Amino acid sequence: MRSRIYTIISGHFKSWYRSKSNIFWTIAFPLLLIVLFGAIFGSGSTKFDLYLQNQDLNANTPTLYSHGYINALNNTGAFNLHVVAAEQPDPLTYVKSDAQPHNRGQRLLVIPLGFNQTLKNGGNATIQLYMDQSDQASASLAGIVRSVTISYAASIAGAPDHLIVQQVGIVTKNIRYIDFFIPGVIGMTLLTTGVFGAVNTNGRYRELKIIKKLATTPLSKIEWILGMVGYQMILATISLVVILFFGYAIFGVTATIDIYTVGLVVAASLLFPGIGMVLANFVKEAESADAAANAITFPMMFLAGTFWPRETLPDIMKIIANFMPLTYVNDGLRDALIYAEPAQALTNTLIALGLAAFFIVLGSVLMNWKEE
Amino acid sequence: MSDNVPAPLPGQSDKVVQVDKLSKKYGDNVAVNDISFSLTKGEVFAFLGPNGAGKTTTVEILECLRNPTGGHARVLGYDVSKRSDQAEIRKRIGVLPQDFNAIDRLTVRENINYFGAMFKHQLDADKLIELVDLKDKRDEQFKKLSGGLKQRVGLAVSLVNDPYVVFLDEPTTGLDPRARRDVWGVIERLKSQGKTVFLTTHYMDEAEYLADIVSIIDHGQIIASGTPDQLIDSHGGKKTLIIRDAGEEGLKQLPPGLPKAELRNAGDIAIPLHNGELTNILMSLGQTPLRDKEIEVRRPTLDDVFLNLTGRRVSEEGN
Repeated sequence: MRSRIYTIISGHFKSWYRSKSNIFWTIAFPLLLIVLFGAIFGSGSTKFDLYLQNQDLNANTPTLYSHGYINALNNTGAFNLHVVAAEQPDPLTYVKSDAQPHNRGQRLLVIPLGFNQTLKNGGNATIQLYMDQSDQASASLAGIVRSVTISYAASIAGAPDHLIVQQVGIVTKNIRYIDFFIPGVIGMTLLTTGVFGAVNTNGRYRELKIIKKLATTPLSKIEWILGMVGYQMILATISLVVILFFGYAIFGVTATIDIYTVGLVVAASLLFPGIGMVLANFVKEAESADAAANAITFPMMFLAGTFWPRETLPDIMKIIANFMPLTYVNDGLRDALIYAEPAQALTNTLIALGLAAFFIVLGSVLMNWKEE
Repeated sequence: MSDNVPAPLPGQSDKVVQVDKLSKKYGDNVAVNDISFSLTKGEVFAFLGPNGAGKTTTVEILECLRNPTGGHARVLGYDVSKRSDQAEIRKRIGVLPQDFNAIDRLTVRENINYFGAMFKHQLDADKLIELVDLKDKRDEQFKKLSGGLKQRVGLAVSLVNDPYVVFLDEPTTGLDPRARRDVWGVIERLKSQGKTVFLTTHYMDEAEYLADIVSIIDHGQIIASGTPDQLIDSHGGKKTLIIRDAGEEGLKQLPPGLPKAELRNAGDIAIPLHNGELTNILMSLGQTPLRDKEIEVRRPTLDDVFLNLTGRRVSEEGN
């Protein structure tokens, strides 16, 4: 005898893969989004972001040679220079925290105190360039900085060797937009398949009297819900694997699948169908349920950091985003898959699991199995 | 076919359904009002009445989908109000809900197996497909079937656990006459196999054709019960002589001394027949131009029974 839960899962799954529109929304649409967004934003600007700290100031004004050097960098047109205040004691930490929300590369050039004087005295001045070696732009950027430096040194002292660029590796991984975006697309797909799956299945099966029929069999409500959750886990796993594979093949996104990723997939497979079941209970007609699901998922998609970092949102929106379950799934997936931040991944996974438990229990309690 | 179908409660095998003073209220609205009836093994029982009469509420109480607010009901000896008994009832009954549709993208066979997997024991899907005459459609997705074929899938699904009693709630509503006849054919096959069937319907001809016992329900109360013949004999009124297409002109041509005739919709003249009057009436009609018209004797139907009991007829839509 096949288990009832297995039968429910297999019934949902067959219905899913036999529908072209289901396949489109679950797999093709997220991939399409990745291609579109990746093509538009993935490679970033044609200019390189470069943080610059000029420590060689005289009464808060750049010294002659430091000023000249910055001008030389600017004149290449290759850089977007972002100034770090000279009094900033830990410029590297500052760059790390500032670059990520602004989707900038973490690269820092430091002009040391005494730069002007050293060159005047005919000595060797050293400029430090901090860069992540895994940054795909590092080679070209370092090349441009060296060329500028050599020509500038030649122009002021006639001796290029006087000015040295010391390249320093930094360990923080540089996150491109596409790295940021792919976990967001996974979160979005889990959200939409979970909420719409539960809303549509429960709404439509109720309309077609399938739930009524099942309620007259030995199948229990909890078995039905477990079947639905099991089906969502399979879909979530398929989405995760397909999207990650696609991201790697097309954009070279490398992700780490760990226990937190598994935890988040489990949480999302409970959480979003749970939200769908709560919705389906309040909105009985299939059409209205669809509209309600849209009303819930769209704001969540845009505010929970799917397409762009939440840090760029207005303050009030940031507060609202904190109440959105997708926020924790997206953040957790990024922490686990891309940033390799286990502590933060754990926190987000636990929050997502807590929310999942709440919504699946609420959805189960509210779901009408018998007619009354 | 499975060999371990759960048995009814010991000593209860003939009493399939027992309903005693059953009531169901929704606030002030009384959907079912103090009804009693019983159903014995092998019977086809028709619960007949217009929409909103309380048929579905009653059948859903028996299917353990709703709780009664008064009275008692037992199915196969188990109490429908007791939680532990409900689980036993569900193992032993087959249900075709009103307006039921199976899962769109599963095939006929997959649907039967899907619902069959909900039970510990299930019948072979191919045998059920044969029973409902869907051999050519077994691998067709449900959504591609016509209404009549879909309903036959529903019947197969309702039989998948080889139930002791099958509850069919309005199984032919919305079907065209041909598809209705096909469904009747399946129910007749069940009847010939000795299956106990609880049928709700608003189609009088359906109840008359299929049922051994009919209970007529109106406004939540049973107003008459018995075999179709008993109901017709006691509540159907007299036989009627019909003169086809005679119209107003025909009325004027009727010989004097006949019982009061009436003109019906299609221009037919209806003359109520009292015992022993038929020969005299036919002889007197033979003296008039009406002798060339088509003449037939019509037996009362359950339609007439319902009309005589309630003063109104039930429309095709069940209202």
